Amino acid sequence: MVKRMTFKQFLFILPLLVIIAVFSIYPIVSSFVYTVFDYRIYDQQYSSLYVSSSFNPARFYENCDYIVYYLQDEATVVDEAGKAEIQAISNEISAFMAPYQNQTQNQTLSGPEAEKIESFIATIGQRLNTVYNQYPNAEFYHQEDMPILLEDMQKSFIQPNFSGISNYQRLFKDARFWGALGITALFMVVSVSLEFVLGMALALIMNKAIKGIGLVRTTALIPWAIPTAVSALIWMYMYDGQSGVVSNIFAAVQLIPAPETMLSTFWGMVGSSIISDVWKTTPYMALLLLAGLQTIDRGLYESAAIDGSGTVNTFFRITLPLMKPSILVALLFRMLDAFRVYDLLYILTRGSLESLSVYAYKLMIGQGYYGYGSAVVVAMFACVAIIAFVFVKVLGAEVVGNDE
Amino acid sequence: MIGTKKSTKILSWGVIILFLAINIFPFFWILITSFKPSSEIFGATAFQIIPNNPTLQNYTKVLFEKNILRSVFNSFVVSSVTTLYVVLVASMSAYIISRFRFRGKALLMALILGVSMFPQMITVGPIFNMFYQMGLLNTYWVVLPYSTITLPSAVWIMVTHFRRIPLSIEEAARIDGCSTWGTLWRIIFPVAAPGVFTTAIMTFIAAWNEYLLTATLNSDAYYQTVPVAINALRTQFEILWGEITAATIVVVIPTLLIVLLFQKQIVAGMTNGAVKE
Repeated sequence: MVKRMTFKQFLFILPLLVIIAVFSIYPIVSSFVYTVFDYRIYDQQYSSLYVSSSFNPARFYENCDYIVYYLQDEATVVDEAGKAEIQAISNEISAFMAPYQNQTQNQTLSGPEAEKIESFIATIGQRLNTVYNQYPNAEFYHQEDMPILLEDMQKSFIQPNFSGISNYQRLFKDARFWGALGITALFMVVSVSLEFVLGMALALIMNKAIKGIGLVRTTALIPWAIPTAVSALIWMYMYDGQSGVVSNIFAAVQLIPAPETMLSTFWGMVGSSIISDVWKTTPYMALLLLAGLQTIDRGLYESAAIDGSGTVNTFFRITLPLMKPSILVALLFRMLDAFRVYDLLYILTRGSLESLSVYAYKLMIGQGYYGYGSAVVVAMFACVAIIAFVFVKVLGAEVVGNDE
Repeated sequence: MIGTKKSTKILSWGVIILFLAINIFPFFWILITSFKPSSEIFGATAFQIIPNNPTLQNYTKVLFEKNILRSVFNSFVVSSVTTLYVVLVASMSAYIISRFRFRGKALLMALILGVSMFPQMITVGPIFNMFYQMGLLNTYWVVLPYSTITLPSAVWIMVTHFRRIPLSIEEAARIDGCSTWGTLWRIIFPVAAPGVFTTAIMTFIAAWNEYLLTATLNSDAYYQTVPVAINALRTQFEILWGEITAATIVVVIPTLLIVLLFQKQIVAGMTNGAVKE
């Protein structure tokens, strides 16, 4: 008899719920939120999600500080009247910037406050110009730096970076995104198909040749069990243009024009990453399918043989239909796995062959484009959802086991 | 099919031997290279099986200068801690899921399955932000986000195993006054020990192989795990194949041992859920 859960038992699943909420749900929701902002972590003006305008006091203060500092130099090359004016400007800036010292948090400004700062920046700019124009022959040290500082000061005002659906619109026009999607889809379809066909053949053979299965199984597990990052490195060596044994064999049998082709041309890289993936995952596929095969009642084969069914006929009429559930689940999980391929391509091709994951990683962590990178990731998420939906609803994969 | 001809049998064994050879060959080849001095890795001697001047220099370099053992140690710490807490959390929830009725159970299972399906890349950005804000970059706290890749399948495997345990066993325990904790730890856990062990092995391997999270969150070599550290060995301009192959051999040994010792549990974990009994 299955009991109803009480509060005490709820505490048992609480850790699971908390962990999933913090490390899976929250990041996913955040990623979705990032996509509607022009969010760039390496650019101060865009480095957070700004729904309304705000002001960066630290940046403002720093620029003021520089101007005051530079003005000391400028005062040395002008006459007394000029010195007085420069001192006056300097004093005014010092007085104005004082309240912003040691403020690190961005703040929301009221309209009048913002206007006050804007007009201050404009006034300082004008007064500096006047001084510079007054002494055309003086050899100022920082005449060229001042406009840059003033411009940077303007950037203390942070505009809202909410961008609506523009990241998604950009996605549709981004050839690099579509290219990455194409590569990912190609990689997924070809790798998984090859793995399935080879894995099936191996499973059928292993199912008959039971003797020595332990040894075969152990050996088959090794490529699957080592980190992808390590196997990618191993294959990088195998494909190396100079000392790569596989690339040199391929070149010797005229499969490729030169050993360098494997890791330096587009199709070479597609081929080499697929071969590496097939090498690593076929054993896994074979063992999964073998487990499925072993659940089939051997009596069925005997009756089929008595009825005069041939090997091929038996395979298509008995083996395949009975294995459909295990095949669908194996294919689904392998496809999702292949779809998010990252470390293999990032290491083997040094990221030259861009899958969606590689492209998203370069955008986000490499260049800091969190908003747009998240849009790429969300697109991946959508693709995964579609694949899973097709498998579960259309093909009828039973991923969720019978409850109770 | 039962009385197959001799020729098919030979063909079958031929295919199996070829398959095993292809499986093993890359390892064999890097093993050879790891004993070659760099002068023999390139040029005419690149494809020679027995090195002219075999050397252990590559090994001493990666072990003592490049400190590859530090990353092996890190991998052990990270994978063990992940395994411990994931198995604990997963067994607690799997026990409740397999033994009690509650609203939203189907939703919870769908959620767990969903988490195991979505692309991991979607969590990387926000988790990087989270770790940055909390000052957790370059620490062992990286084990927490490892849960996204290990916890769902751990719960899944455990639920399957717990469901196979007959209810009558724990009913007796409960009549004797055993609490929920007591039932889980003293009754379910020992009976389901093989399943728990399988879960632990699968979690450990998944954590051992994880690359993306450590690469993103721990840029400091001191905290890098094997997959990340070994890739740091190839520099921008040249690839020291001798050292890389030696390091590969070193880091593959733990995996090899795990596979040799626990292959039954691994196969059980791999095929779990994929096969309906």
